[in-house]
Amino acid sequence: MNAWVLLLGGLTVWAIHFFLLYSFASLFPGQEIARILTLAATAPALAVDALLLWAAAGRAFQTDELDRWVYDVSATGAALSFIAVIWQALPALLV
Amino acid sequence: MNSETGFDPELLNRFPTSEERPKGEVEELNRIWAAPSGWARLTVVNNNYIGIFYTGTAFLFFLLAGALALVMRTQLALPLNGILPQETYNQFFTMHGTMMMFLFAVPMMEAIGILLLPQMLAARDLPFPRLSAYAFWAYFVGGLSFFASLFFGLAPNGGWFMYPPLTSITYSPGINADFWLLGIGFIEISAIAGAIEILVGVLKTRAPGMTLARMPIFAWAMLVFAGMIIIAFPAVILGTLLLEFERALNWPFFDAARGGDPLLWQHLFWFFGHPEVYIIFLPAAGLLSMMVSTFARTELVGYHLIVLAILATAFISFGVWAHHMFTTGMPDLSISFFSAASMAVSVPAGIQVFAWIATFATGRPRYNTPTLFLLGALITFVMGGLTGVMVALVPFDWQVHDSHFIVAHLHYVLIGGAVFPMFAAFYYWMGMTSSRALSERLGTWVFWLMFAGMHITFLPMHLTGLMGMPRRVYTYLPESDWMATNLISTIGAFTLGAGILLFLVDLARNFRFTVEDDAGNVYGGGTLEWLPTGLYSTRSIPVVRSRSPLWDDPNICEDVEKGRYLLPNAPTGHRETIITSPLRAEPQYLQIMPGPSPWPLLAALFTAGFFVLLTIQAYTPAVISGVLTIPCVLRWLWETDRPVAVRTADVGAGIRLPTYVTGPSTHGWWATIILLIVVFMIFLMTVFSWFFLYGIHPRLWSAPDNLLSLVPVLGGYGAAAGLLFLGRHLLARTKSTHWSPATQILLAAIALVAAFGIDLWSWRESALDPELSAQAALTFAFLSQQGLLVAITAIMALYLALRNARAMITRPRNTTFDVVFLFMLYTAGQGSVTAVLTRLAPAGFPA
Ligand code: HEM
Ligand SMILES: [Cu+2]
Repeated sequence: MNAWVLLLGGLTVWAIHFFLLYSFASLFPGQEIARILTLAATAPALAVDALLLWAAAGRAFQTDELDRWVYDVSATGAALSFIAVIWQALPALLV
Repeated sequence: MNSETGFDPELLNRFPTSEERPKGEVEELNRIWAAPSGWARLTVVNNNYIGIFYTGTAFLFFLLAGALALVMRTQLALPLNGILPQETYNQFFTMHGTMMMFLFAVPMMEAIGILLLPQMLAARDLPFPRLSAYAFWAYFVGGLSFFASLFFGLAPNGGWFMYPPLTSITYSPGINADFWLLGIGFIEISAIAGAIEILVGVLKTRAPGMTLARMPIFAWAMLVFAGMIIIAFPAVILGTLLLEFERALNWPFFDAARGGDPLLWQHLFWFFGHPEVYIIFLPAAGLLSMMVSTFARTELVGYHLIVLAILATAFISFGVWAHHMFTTGMPDLSISFFSAASMAVSVPAGIQVFAWIATFATGRPRYNTPTLFLLGALITFVMGGLTGVMVALVPFDWQVHDSHFIVAHLHYVLIGGAVFPMFAAFYYWMGMTSSRALSERLGTWVFWLMFAGMHITFLPMHLTGLMGMPRRVYTYLPESDWMATNLISTIGAFTLGAGILLFLVDLARNFRFTVEDDAGNVYGGGTLEWLPTGLYSTRSIPVVRSRSPLWDDPNICEDVEKGRYLLPNAPTGHRETIITSPLRAEPQYLQIMPGPSPWPLLAALFTAGFFVLLTIQAYTPAVISGVLTIPCVLRWLWETDRPVAVRTADVGAGIRLPTYVTGPSTHGWWATIILLIVVFMIFLMTVFSWFFLYGIHPRLWSAPDNLLSLVPVLGGYGAAAGLLFLGRHLLARTKSTHWSPATQILLAAIALVAAFGIDLWSWRESALDPELSAQAALTFAFLSQQGLLVAITAIMALYLALRNARAMITRPRNTTFDVVFLFMLYTAGQGSVTAVLTRLAPAGFPA
């Protein structure tokens, strides 16, 4: 099961982060607090992504073909998620 | 190599074996897997047949919906044309859009999956053949009845997304809208049945050694496709349920005057509707990936990036639904979040496109009809993607919303992302099901007519839209400047139609369905579906050692055919396949599979009857038809979950696998959990609706007056859960008497019924009236779901008792018992949350 957690970890972080952002913007429409909460949720999301990246990349040098593949995909996914989370939060600074 | 299940991977190195197989094994396989003939052919469950029926039906709906499109285009060719009156035009675009999306695109992908997956994974069949048969027949009957509504002028006319209040009883008083709501709700059930089949199939029936890293991309795509259906479709099921309740019972979910909100529908619909687009695109992209590799004669470049892209698309596509609602006045910040996500979702699609281009660049490509369709798909899809990024930009969308620009955009993505790939796949995989391949010469014509027709129709349509022509209008004025582009579009549509007609000619000339002497691997693909097969799929199930086994091991076809791999015979004398573990595909056990049966067919007929009769308001016959479904389903299940005489069987090279396994590693357990996720998603969407409506009209909500009833309700559900665990405990103790575990389950069912009864009664006694407020209406929507679950569990408990009385419940554990246990436990849980939520949340209702 651990393999699935890693494989889907980065993307799950993105999804949770997205739904938090959507809830903040809907709960506090047009209020400053929505932006602050957005930034507050972004920091831990990025931290978890970094953690996932570290966990997966650190183990990517395996002899077992499947393990190597899983860590490889997971690390790329976490990196992708890291960028996507920043992108997703940008409107709070720009709009 | 590491192991996932404790199975020693070294054992697989014994294959291929070298000794001769005894005579008569192939005959035995043929006998066991034979399809019934004559009229009994209708009861067939083999994936080859169901797959081809399914594909054929989906293609039929494509043709019918396409014919509607041509009539619409004829109407729009000239201003003030008189071919279609306004009302008929409304019905036509609604039927065209709805059929294309619900009856063609999604079922077609599911159909291709059912046809190809078992062969691609080298399984004997998908794990629940009777479920596939049920899904197909439900879809076939339901779809045809839905289409027939057109001939009575009763077809729905509210557009494929059926927005209220236009579709509420005030503005759509006829039963047209009900056809949509009940018909589509029903088709979704069939889609979900297929998705469960595909999910469990891909995770649990892959050939040994086919790890996640060696799975064909199409299998990855279908895995994600099915997962997305499980998460997305419940939203539209709930939506159709609520709107039907509103229309039939006057419960105001979408009526702003009584605390509802029409935007709730839009949220529910698009939470399903946008992922739907990717549900259609991902399998098509999976097909493209497979073909690109074959045609370029090299391994796919960036396999792991493509897998990641497929997964990323699935996740991100759930965060973009509100881009269909940019003009509804949502808060700026929310809109921007959806806009950002909508732009992000194009990145994974881009990754796939670049991987395909790279594969072509590094390989030695061949040019033939499927390659043409493949390149046509690429170009068209990329163009649709570009206009997609344009409409993801909010100000641009405000400009073109609801205009023909959108019609052009959506057809570029759908035709480029699904129709052209499908035609490529038809040509490519035809050799698997037909004794003759399709004609290359005609195929070139088919392609160019379709490709040219597509662009002639839809490229000028962007302009028509930018010049201001709204979508969904049945005509326009001569002064409007929209004449030239409309005429060109119509000419293009008929060119496209001519291409499809030519394809039909080719089909008639060359398509000859067969299982045994197929035309074979015309294009030289490297994956397992090109192994020699019969109705039993492959003679023996190969050990997979790479992503393209047929390219890497030139002997594999012969070895498989000579029975030198796993399961070269039928050791139990029944239909069977090897269940493997989800990550590494290590053999776990032999699954005994059911054979042909009329019961799934009858169950499908009665379910369809229920929905169709309900639509035409024949309530008594509807209920009778619905009730008749129950014995059919139970009868079909009755023959399953039976241990066979041999406890373990030799699957070749001295490897023995058990023939009956229970618990969390089994296919039955997985299917139950997935079904419960569907139920939970419907519930979760209701919870969303609850907080959404509360957020819009908090002042219209009031605190309920039946708080005290919470005690007996929770007590009842708690008692049910306790009894369930007790029953499970007793079952494991082999010494206990014949009746006791099933008795606990019956008692648990009684506790569930009692708890639900008290809950319902307390609400009926309370001051809340579901016709007067959305709060009360939603409370009763929660209760309706709970009531349905409780009724199902009651039937399950009786069924279990019946099996127990026939001594069919194995000890210490039993799959049927586990399934009932899980379902009832879940029901107790959802009932408790329902009871608490409806009474206590949102905390401290302002009075
Ligand atoms: C065969 C070529 C096709 C032609 C000529 C065509 C033509 C049309 C036309 C004329 C409309 C109505 C435009 C309006 O008045 O608003 C339309 C709408 C639509 N089409 Fe197609 N179409 C084709 C294929 C497809 C395919 C393959 C799909 C999906 C897989 C599709 C999905 C839709 C949808 C979803 C709508 C919107 C319906 C609505 O407004 O409710 N079409 N199409
Ligand atoms: Cu969308």
